[in-house]
Amino acid sequence: MATNAIRALHPMTKFTFALFVTAAVIAVPSYLFAYAMFAALLVIAAAAGVLREFFAFVLKTLVVLLIIVFLMQLLFYPGDDIIGGWWVFTLTQEGLAYGLLLTSRILAIGSAFILFFRITEVKDFVKALENMGLPPAGAYVVLSTLQIIPEMRRQSNVIMDAQKTRGVETEGSVLVRAKAFLPTLTPLILSAIASTEERAITLESRAFSAPVNKTSLHTLERRPIDTGLIALFTIGAVALIVWRVAVWIL
Amino acid sequence: MNKTATRKRSFQQDFSLLALLLIPIGVAINFVGFQLAQVLRLPIFLDVIGTILVGVIAGPWVGLLTGLITNSITAIFNPVYFPYVVVSMAIGVAAGLLSKAGLLRTLPKAILSGLVITAVAVVISAPITVIFFGGATGNTSSAITATFLATGQTIWQAVFSSTIITEIADKVISVLIVFFIVRSISDRYLSKMKYGEQYMKRNRRK
Repeated sequence: MATNAIRALHPMTKFTFALFVTAAVIAVPSYLFAYAMFAALLVIAAAAGVLREFFAFVLKTLVVLLIIVFLMQLLFYPGDDIIGGWWVFTLTQEGLAYGLLLTSRILAIGSAFILFFRITEVKDFVKALENMGLPPAGAYVVLSTLQIIPEMRRQSNVIMDAQKTRGVETEGSVLVRAKAFLPTLTPLILSAIASTEERAITLESRAFSAPVNKTSLHTLERRPIDTGLIALFTIGAVALIVWRVAVWIL
Repeated sequence: MNKTATRKRSFQQDFSLLALLLIPIGVAINFVGFQLAQVLRLPIFLDVIGTILVGVIAGPWVGLLTGLITNSITAIFNPVYFPYVVVSMAIGVAAGLLSKAGLLRTLPKAILSGLVITAVAVVISAPITVIFFGGATGNTSSAITATFLATGQTIWQAVFSSTIITEIADKVISVLIVFFIVRSISDRYLSKMKYGEQYMKRNRRK
Protein backbone atom coordinates (compact mmCIF):
# COMPACT_ATOMS: atom_id res chain seq x y z
CA MET A 1 0.00 0.00 0.00
CA ALA A 2 1.34 3.39 -0.95
CA THR A 3 2.19 5.51 2.05
CA ASN A 4 2.46 8.77 0.13
CA ALA A 5 -0.69 10.90 0.51
CA ILE A 6 -0.90 11.75 -3.20
CA ARG A 7 -0.18 8.26 -4.45
CA ALA A 8 -2.73 6.81 -2.00
CA LEU A 9 -5.54 8.71 -3.71
CA HIS A 10 -8.10 6.82 -5.76
CA PRO A 11 -7.03 6.41 -9.43
CA MET A 12 -10.14 8.24 -10.59
CA THR A 13 -9.22 11.23 -8.42
CA LYS A 14 -5.86 11.47 -10.15
CA PHE A 15 -7.45 10.91 -13.54
CA THR A 16 -10.01 13.66 -12.93
CA PHE A 17 -7.13 15.95 -12.02
CA ALA A 18 -5.39 15.22 -15.34
CA LEU A 19 -8.66 15.97 -17.15
CA PHE A 20 -9.02 19.16 -15.12
CA VAL A 21 -5.55 20.31 -16.22
CA THR A 22 -6.52 19.54 -19.83
CA ALA A 23 -9.75 21.53 -19.60
CA ALA A 24 -8.03 24.41 -17.79
CA VAL A 25 -5.22 24.97 -20.29
CA ILE A 26 -7.64 24.76 -23.21
CA ALA A 27 -10.09 27.18 -21.52
CA VAL A 28 -7.49 29.77 -20.51
CA PRO A 29 -5.85 31.18 -23.66
CA SER A 30 -2.57 32.15 -22.05
CA TYR A 31 0.76 30.42 -22.43
CA LEU A 32 1.91 31.80 -19.09
CA PHE A 33 -1.00 30.03 -17.40
CA ALA A 34 -0.17 26.73 -19.13
CA TYR A 35 3.53 26.98 -18.24
CA ALA A 36 2.53 27.79 -14.66
CA MET A 37 0.41 24.63 -14.75
CA PHE A 38 3.53 22.67 -15.68
CA ALA A 39 5.35 24.24 -12.72
CA ALA A 40 2.44 23.15 -10.50
CA LEU A 41 2.74 19.60 -11.88
CA LEU A 42 6.45 19.62 -11.00
CA VAL A 43 5.56 20.55 -7.42
CA ILE A 44 2.96 17.76 -7.25
CA ALA A 45 5.47 15.27 -8.70
CA ALA A 46 7.99 16.31 -6.05
CA ALA A 47 5.37 15.92 -3.32
CA ALA A 48 4.51 12.46 -4.64
CA GLY A 49 8.20 11.53 -4.67
CA VAL A 50 8.43 10.91 -8.41
CA LEU A 51 10.08 14.17 -9.50
CA ARG A 52 13.16 12.60 -11.05
CA GLU A 53 11.21 9.94 -12.95
CA PHE A 54 8.57 12.46 -14.07
CA PHE A 55 11.17 14.93 -15.29
CA ALA A 56 13.07 12.21 -17.17
CA PHE A 57 9.88 11.13 -18.95
CA VAL A 58 9.00 14.70 -19.89
CA LEU A 59 12.51 15.25 -21.27
CA LYS A 60 12.45 12.00 -23.22
CA THR A 61 8.99 12.29 -24.76
CA LEU A 62 8.19 15.99 -25.01
CA VAL A 63 11.22 18.22 -25.48
CA VAL A 64 12.12 17.34 -29.09
CA LEU A 65 8.46 17.45 -30.12
CA LEU A 66 7.98 20.86 -28.48
CA ILE A 67 11.04 22.35 -30.19
CA ILE A 68 9.89 21.12 -33.60
CA VAL A 69 6.30 22.29 -33.07
CA PHE A 70 7.55 25.69 -31.89
CA LEU A 71 9.92 26.19 -34.83
CA MET A 72 7.20 25.12 -37.26
CA GLN A 73 4.84 27.82 -35.97
CA LEU A 74 7.56 30.46 -35.70
CA LEU A 75 8.74 29.92 -39.27
CA PHE A 76 5.54 29.14 -41.11
CA TYR A 77 2.52 30.50 -39.23
CA PRO A 78 0.86 33.12 -41.45
CA GLY A 79 0.86 36.64 -40.00
CA ASP A 80 1.45 40.30 -40.83
CA ASP A 81 3.28 41.61 -37.78
CA ILE A 82 6.89 40.91 -38.81
CA ILE A 83 9.38 40.84 -35.94
CA GLY A 84 12.45 39.65 -37.80
CA GLY A 85 13.86 37.45 -40.51
CA TRP A 86 16.25 34.56 -40.73
CA TRP A 87 17.61 33.19 -44.00
CA VAL A 88 14.54 32.73 -46.27
CA PHE A 89 12.04 32.85 -43.40
CA THR A 90 10.10 35.76 -41.96
CA LEU A 91 9.27 35.60 -38.29
CA THR A 92 5.91 37.01 -37.24
CA GLN A 93 4.43 38.03 -33.94
CA GLU A 94 1.42 35.79 -34.63
CA GLY A 95 3.70 32.80 -35.23
CA LEU A 96 5.59 33.44 -32.02
CA ALA A 97 2.38 33.80 -30.01
CA TYR A 98 0.75 30.70 -31.49
CA GLY A 99 3.96 28.68 -31.08
CA LEU A 100 4.18 29.59 -27.41
CA LEU A 101 0.49 28.85 -26.80
CA LEU A 102 0.50 25.51 -28.63
CA THR A 103 3.71 24.24 -27.03
CA SER A 104 2.60 25.34 -23.55
CA ARG A 105 -0.66 23.42 -23.98
CA ILE A 106 1.05 20.26 -25.28
CA LEU A 107 3.52 20.49 -22.40
CA ALA A 108 0.83 20.94 -19.73
CA ILE A 109 -1.58 18.27 -21.03
CA GLY A 110 1.15 15.79 -21.96
CA SER A 111 2.91 16.10 -18.62
CA ALA A 112 -0.39 15.91 -16.69
CA PHE A 113 -0.95 12.43 -18.11
CA ILE A 114 2.71 11.47 -17.79
CA LEU A 115 2.41 12.36 -14.11
CA PHE A 116 -0.86 10.43 -13.85
CA PHE A 117 0.78 7.22 -15.04
CA ARG A 118 3.82 7.77 -12.81
CA ILE A 119 1.69 7.97 -9.66
CA THR A 120 -0.94 5.39 -10.64
CA GLU A 121 -0.54 1.65 -11.06
CA VAL A 122 -2.13 0.55 -14.35
CA LYS A 123 -3.68 -2.35 -12.42
CA ASP A 124 -5.43 0.11 -10.09
CA PHE A 125 -6.63 2.27 -12.96
CA VAL A 126 -8.12 -0.72 -14.78
CA LYS A 127 -9.77 -1.85 -11.54
CA ALA A 128 -11.25 1.63 -11.14
CA LEU A 129 -12.60 1.47 -14.69
CA GLU A 130 -14.06 -1.95 -13.91
CA ASN A 131 -15.82 -0.51 -10.87
CA MET A 132 -17.27 2.15 -13.17
CA GLY A 133 -18.79 -0.45 -15.48
CA LEU A 134 -16.03 -1.86 -17.69
CA PRO A 135 -16.84 -5.57 -18.16
CA PRO A 136 -14.43 -7.86 -16.26
CA ALA A 137 -13.54 -9.51 -19.57
CA GLY A 138 -12.40 -6.09 -20.85
CA ALA A 139 -10.25 -5.58 -17.78
CA TYR A 140 -8.73 -9.02 -18.33
CA VAL A 141 -7.96 -8.16 -21.96
CA VAL A 142 -6.15 -4.94 -21.00
CA LEU A 143 -4.12 -6.50 -18.22
CA SER A 144 -3.18 -9.62 -20.17
CA THR A 145 -2.09 -7.39 -23.07
CA LEU A 146 0.43 -5.74 -20.75
CA GLN A 147 1.86 -9.16 -19.94
CA ILE A 148 1.84 -10.49 -23.48
CA ILE A 149 3.74 -7.57 -25.07
CA PRO A 150 7.12 -8.16 -23.34
CA GLU A 151 6.66 -11.91 -23.76
CA MET A 152 6.14 -11.60 -27.51
CA ARG A 153 9.03 -9.14 -27.81
CA ARG A 154 11.34 -11.71 -26.25
CA GLN A 155 9.95 -14.40 -28.50
CA SER A 156 10.46 -12.28 -31.62
CA ASN A 157 14.16 -11.91 -30.73
CA VAL A 158 14.45 -15.67 -30.30
CA ILE A 159 12.75 -16.29 -33.67
CA MET A 160 14.96 -13.74 -35.37
CA ASP A 161 18.09 -15.40 -34.01
CA ALA A 162 16.77 -18.78 -35.11
CA GLN A 163 16.11 -17.47 -38.62
CA LYS A 164 19.60 -15.92 -38.73
CA THR A 165 21.02 -19.35 -37.92
CA ARG A 166 19.04 -20.74 -40.84
CA GLY A 167 20.64 -18.13 -43.11
CA VAL A 168 18.02 -15.37 -43.24
CA GLU A 169 20.00 -12.17 -43.66
CA THR A 170 19.23 -9.19 -41.41
CA GLU A 171 22.01 -6.93 -42.65
CA GLY A 172 22.52 -5.34 -46.05
CA SER A 173 20.33 -3.30 -48.38
CA VAL A 174 16.77 -2.26 -47.50
CA LEU A 175 15.39 -5.05 -49.66
CA VAL A 176 17.51 -7.72 -47.93
CA ARG A 177 16.50 -6.42 -44.50
CA ALA A 178 12.84 -6.21 -45.52
CA LYS A 179 12.93 -9.87 -46.56
CA ALA A 180 13.73 -10.82 -42.96
CA PHE A 181 10.51 -9.23 -41.71
CA LEU A 182 7.96 -11.90 -42.66
CA PRO A 183 10.04 -14.95 -41.60
CA THR A 184 10.25 -13.39 -38.13
CA LEU A 185 6.71 -12.12 -37.77
CA THR A 186 4.78 -15.05 -39.26
CA PRO A 187 5.97 -17.79 -36.84
CA LEU A 188 5.45 -15.37 -33.95
CA ILE A 189 1.86 -14.63 -34.93
CA LEU A 190 0.98 -18.23 -35.71
CA SER A 191 2.32 -19.53 -32.40
CA ALA A 192 0.64 -16.70 -30.49
CA ILE A 193 -2.68 -17.44 -32.18
CA ALA A 194 -2.34 -21.15 -31.40
CA SER A 195 -1.77 -20.30 -27.74
CA THR A 196 -5.09 -18.43 -27.52
CA GLU A 197 -6.99 -21.70 -27.95
CA GLU A 198 -5.19 -23.17 -24.95
CA ARG A 199 -5.77 -20.01 -22.99
CA ALA A 200 -9.49 -20.14 -23.82
CA ILE A 201 -9.72 -23.67 -22.41
CA THR A 202 -7.82 -22.62 -19.28
CA LEU A 203 -10.11 -19.64 -18.72
CA GLU A 204 -13.28 -21.60 -19.36
CA SER A 205 -12.22 -24.27 -16.90
CA ARG A 206 -12.20 -21.43 -14.36
CA ALA A 207 -15.70 -20.27 -15.35
CA PHE A 208 -14.48 -17.10 -17.11
CA SER A 209 -17.63 -16.70 -19.22
CA ALA A 210 -20.05 -17.78 -16.50
CA PRO A 211 -22.84 -15.19 -16.17
CA VAL A 212 -22.27 -14.51 -12.48
CA ASN A 213 -20.75 -11.72 -10.40
CA LYS A 214 -16.98 -11.95 -10.29
CA THR A 215 -15.09 -11.70 -7.03
CA SER A 216 -11.88 -9.70 -7.19
CA LEU A 217 -8.88 -10.20 -4.94
CA HIS A 218 -7.80 -6.66 -5.76
CA THR A 219 -10.02 -3.96 -4.30
CA LEU A 220 -9.74 -0.19 -4.26
CA GLU A 221 -10.63 2.08 -1.41
CA ARG A 222 -12.53 5.25 -2.14
CA ARG A 223 -12.32 7.70 0.74
CA PRO A 224 -14.30 10.92 1.37
CA ILE A 225 -11.28 12.97 0.27
CA ASP A 226 -11.49 11.31 -3.17
CA THR A 227 -15.16 12.19 -3.57
CA GLY A 228 -14.40 15.75 -2.45
CA LEU A 229 -11.45 16.22 -4.80
CA ILE A 230 -13.29 14.72 -7.78
CA ALA A 231 -16.18 17.13 -7.16
CA LEU A 232 -13.72 20.03 -6.84
CA PHE A 233 -11.86 19.23 -10.07
CA THR A 234 -15.08 18.64 -11.98
CA ILE A 235 -16.64 21.89 -10.79
CA GLY A 236 -13.39 23.73 -11.50
CA ALA A 237 -13.17 22.38 -15.05
CA VAL A 238 -16.83 23.09 -15.80
CA ALA A 239 -16.55 26.61 -14.34
CA LEU A 240 -13.51 27.41 -16.50
CA ILE A 241 -15.21 26.12 -19.64
CA VAL A 242 -18.42 28.04 -18.90
CA TRP A 243 -16.37 31.18 -18.24
CA ARG A 244 -14.51 30.71 -21.51
CA VAL A 245 -17.67 30.17 -23.53
CA ALA A 246 -19.28 33.19 -21.84
CA VAL A 247 -16.31 35.43 -22.70
CA TRP A 248 -16.35 34.08 -26.23
CA ILE A 249 -20.06 34.72 -26.82
CA LEU A 250 -20.35 38.10 -25.07
CA MET B 1 -37.09 -11.68 -32.73
CA ASN B 2 -37.03 -8.01 -33.70
CA LYS B 3 -34.22 -6.37 -35.57
CA THR B 4 -32.40 -4.55 -32.75
CA ALA B 5 -32.31 -7.72 -30.67
CA THR B 6 -30.74 -9.58 -33.58
CA ARG B 7 -28.17 -6.85 -33.99
CA LYS B 8 -27.36 -6.84 -30.29
CA ARG B 9 -26.86 -10.57 -30.32
CA SER B 10 -24.56 -10.40 -33.32
CA PHE B 11 -22.59 -7.64 -31.57
CA GLN B 12 -22.09 -9.91 -28.57
CA GLN B 13 -21.16 -12.80 -30.82
CA ASP B 14 -18.41 -10.62 -32.30
CA PHE B 15 -16.80 -10.68 -28.87
CA SER B 16 -16.55 -14.43 -28.41
CA LEU B 17 -13.90 -15.56 -25.95
CA LEU B 18 -11.50 -16.45 -28.77
CA ALA B 19 -12.02 -13.04 -30.36
CA LEU B 20 -11.33 -11.38 -27.00
CA LEU B 21 -8.15 -13.40 -26.58
CA LEU B 22 -7.06 -12.34 -30.05
CA ILE B 23 -7.03 -8.67 -28.97
CA PRO B 24 -3.89 -8.86 -26.75
CA ILE B 25 -2.15 -10.76 -29.55
CA GLY B 26 -3.14 -8.06 -32.05
CA VAL B 27 -1.87 -5.30 -29.78
CA ALA B 28 1.40 -7.15 -29.20
CA ILE B 29 1.81 -7.68 -32.98
CA ASN B 30 1.52 -3.90 -33.41
CA PHE B 31 4.34 -3.36 -30.91
CA VAL B 32 6.53 -6.18 -32.20
CA GLY B 33 6.00 -5.13 -35.83
CA PHE B 34 7.14 -1.62 -34.98
CA GLN B 35 10.12 -2.93 -33.01
CA LEU B 36 11.08 -5.28 -35.82
CA ALA B 37 10.89 -2.48 -38.40
CA GLN B 38 13.24 -0.48 -36.16
CA VAL B 39 15.68 -3.36 -35.65
CA LEU B 40 15.79 -4.03 -39.39
CA ARG B 41 16.05 -0.27 -40.01
CA LEU B 42 13.13 -0.28 -42.44
CA PRO B 43 11.96 3.17 -43.55
CA ILE B 44 8.30 2.45 -42.58
CA PHE B 45 6.53 2.01 -39.23
CA LEU B 46 4.55 -1.25 -39.67
CA ASP B 47 2.81 -0.56 -36.36
CA VAL B 48 -0.81 -1.38 -37.29
CA ILE B 49 -0.37 -4.92 -38.64
CA GLY B 50 -2.05 -6.40 -35.57
CA THR B 51 -5.02 -4.03 -35.73
CA ILE B 52 -5.57 -4.83 -39.41
CA LEU B 53 -5.18 -8.58 -38.83
CA VAL B 54 -7.71 -8.61 -35.99
CA GLY B 55 -10.16 -6.49 -37.99
CA VAL B 56 -9.82 -8.79 -41.00
CA ILE B 57 -10.49 -12.08 -39.21
CA ALA B 58 -12.58 -11.02 -36.19
CA GLY B 59 -14.58 -8.11 -37.60
CA PRO B 60 -14.67 -4.31 -37.30
CA TRP B 61 -15.65 -4.02 -33.62
CA VAL B 62 -12.88 -6.26 -32.35
CA GLY B 63 -10.51 -4.37 -34.68
CA LEU B 64 -11.68 -1.08 -33.21
CA LEU B 65 -10.98 -2.32 -29.68
CA THR B 66 -7.51 -3.52 -30.70
CA GLY B 67 -6.71 -0.03 -32.00
CA LEU B 68 -8.08 1.58 -28.84
CA ILE B 69 -6.05 -0.65 -26.51
CA THR B 70 -2.87 -0.28 -28.59
CA ASN B 71 -2.89 3.50 -28.33
CA SER B 72 -4.00 3.45 -24.70
CA ILE B 73 -0.99 1.34 -23.81
CA THR B 74 1.32 3.60 -25.81
CA ALA B 75 -0.16 6.47 -23.81
CA ILE B 76 1.12 4.96 -20.56
CA PHE B 77 4.64 5.68 -21.79
CA ASN B 78 3.97 8.64 -24.07
CA PRO B 79 0.54 10.25 -23.75
CA VAL B 80 1.23 13.00 -26.27
CA TYR B 81 0.24 10.93 -29.28
CA PHE B 82 -2.98 9.65 -27.71
CA PRO B 83 -5.21 11.78 -30.03
CA TYR B 84 -4.16 9.42 -32.84
CA VAL B 85 -6.18 6.70 -31.13
CA VAL B 86 -9.03 7.66 -33.46
CA VAL B 87 -6.87 6.72 -36.45
CA SER B 88 -6.07 3.28 -35.03
CA MET B 89 -9.71 2.61 -34.23
CA ALA B 90 -10.79 3.67 -37.72
CA ILE B 91 -8.15 1.42 -39.29
CA GLY B 92 -9.50 -1.55 -37.31
CA VAL B 93 -13.07 -0.81 -38.41
CA ALA B 94 -12.02 -0.25 -42.03
CA ALA B 95 -10.08 -3.53 -42.11
CA GLY B 96 -13.14 -5.35 -40.77
CA LEU B 97 -15.51 -3.82 -43.29
CA LEU B 98 -13.11 -4.46 -46.19
CA SER B 99 -12.83 -8.09 -45.12
CA LYS B 100 -16.61 -8.38 -44.87
CA ALA B 101 -16.88 -7.07 -48.45
CA GLY B 102 -14.43 -9.78 -49.54
CA LEU B 103 -11.74 -7.27 -50.46
CA LEU B 104 -8.89 -9.27 -48.97
CA ARG B 105 -9.42 -12.49 -50.86
CA THR B 106 -7.08 -11.83 -53.78
CA LEU B 107 -3.81 -9.95 -54.09
CA PRO B 108 -5.10 -7.14 -56.37
CA LYS B 109 -8.07 -6.59 -54.07
CA ALA B 110 -5.73 -6.54 -51.07
CA ILE B 111 -3.70 -3.75 -52.69
CA LEU B 112 -6.93 -1.84 -53.23
CA SER B 113 -7.77 -2.40 -49.55
CA GLY B 114 -4.35 -1.03 -48.65
CA LEU B 115 -5.14 2.16 -50.56
CA VAL B 116 -8.54 2.46 -48.84
CA ILE B 117 -6.90 2.09 -45.43
CA THR B 118 -4.28 4.68 -46.44
CA ALA B 119 -7.10 7.07 -47.33
CA VAL B 120 -8.83 6.45 -43.98
CA ALA B 121 -5.57 7.00 -42.10
CA VAL B 122 -4.73 10.22 -43.97
CA VAL B 123 -8.20 11.78 -43.71
CA ILE B 124 -8.29 11.20 -39.96
CA SER B 125 -4.67 11.76 -38.94
CA ALA B 126 -3.95 14.94 -40.94
CA PRO B 127 -6.55 17.07 -39.08
CA ILE B 128 -5.22 15.73 -35.75
CA THR B 129 -1.68 16.73 -36.76
CA VAL B 130 -2.79 20.24 -37.72
CA ILE B 131 -5.15 20.90 -34.80
CA PHE B 132 -3.23 19.29 -31.94
CA PHE B 133 0.34 19.79 -33.07
CA GLY B 134 0.21 22.71 -35.50
CA GLY B 135 1.42 20.44 -38.32
CA ALA B 136 4.52 18.87 -36.82
CA THR B 137 4.87 15.72 -34.76
CA GLY B 138 8.61 15.37 -34.68
CA ASN B 139 9.08 12.42 -37.02
CA THR B 140 10.36 12.36 -40.59
CA SER B 141 7.07 13.60 -42.03
CA SER B 142 7.62 16.93 -40.24
CA ALA B 143 10.61 17.61 -42.48
CA ILE B 144 8.48 16.88 -45.55
CA THR B 145 5.71 19.12 -44.21
CA ALA B 146 8.23 21.92 -43.67
CA THR B 147 9.49 21.53 -47.22
CA PHE B 148 5.97 21.86 -48.61
CA LEU B 149 5.31 24.88 -46.37
CA ALA B 150 8.49 26.51 -47.61
CA THR B 151 7.26 26.14 -51.19
CA GLY B 152 4.22 28.20 -50.25
CA GLN B 153 1.55 25.58 -49.54
CA THR B 154 -0.95 26.18 -46.75
CA ILE B 155 -0.60 24.14 -43.57
CA TRP B 156 -3.51 21.87 -44.57
CA GLN B 157 -2.12 21.14 -48.04
CA ALA B 158 1.36 20.56 -46.64
CA VAL B 159 0.22 18.18 -43.91
CA PHE B 160 -2.10 16.24 -46.21
CA SER B 161 0.66 15.86 -48.82
CA SER B 162 3.31 14.74 -46.33
CA THR B 163 0.89 12.35 -44.57
CA ILE B 164 -0.02 10.69 -47.87
CA ILE B 165 3.67 10.25 -48.70
CA THR B 166 4.54 8.67 -45.36
CA GLU B 167 1.38 6.57 -45.02
CA ILE B 168 0.89 5.05 -48.43
CA ALA B 169 3.83 2.61 -48.45
CA ASP B 170 3.36 1.80 -44.78
CA LYS B 171 -0.35 0.94 -44.97
CA VAL B 172 -0.30 -0.88 -48.32
CA ILE B 173 2.62 -3.06 -47.16
CA SER B 174 0.91 -3.68 -43.79
CA VAL B 175 -2.23 -4.90 -45.54
CA LEU B 176 -0.18 -7.15 -47.83
CA ILE B 177 1.62 -8.65 -44.82
CA VAL B 178 -1.77 -9.36 -43.24
CA PHE B 179 -2.96 -10.85 -46.53
CA PHE B 180 -0.06 -13.33 -46.52
CA ILE B 181 -0.26 -14.12 -42.80
CA VAL B 182 -4.01 -14.82 -42.91
CA ARG B 183 -3.35 -17.37 -45.64
CA SER B 184 -1.01 -19.29 -43.35
CA ILE B 185 -3.33 -19.40 -40.32
CA SER B 186 -4.76 -22.87 -39.77
CA ASP B 187 -8.26 -23.63 -41.08
CA ARG B 188 -9.20 -24.92 -37.65
CA TYR B 189 -8.63 -21.48 -36.13
CA LEU B 190 -10.07 -19.50 -39.04
CA SER B 191 -13.30 -21.49 -38.85
CA LYS B 192 -13.89 -20.09 -35.35
CA MET B 193 -13.43 -16.47 -36.42
CA LYS B 194 -16.23 -14.24 -37.69
CA TYR B 195 -14.80 -13.57 -41.16
CA GLY B 196 -12.30 -16.43 -41.12
CA GLU B 197 -14.19 -18.87 -43.30
CA GLN B 198 -13.45 -17.11 -46.60
CA TYR B 199 -9.69 -17.43 -45.99
CA MET B 200 -9.75 -21.19 -45.31
CA LYS B 201 -7.61 -23.16 -47.72
CA ARG B 202 -10.42 -25.36 -48.95
CA ASN B 203 -12.58 -22.30 -49.71
CA ARG B 204 -9.82 -20.38 -51.46
CA ARG B 205 -9.45 -22.71 -54.43
CA LYS B 206 -12.15 -22.12 -56.97
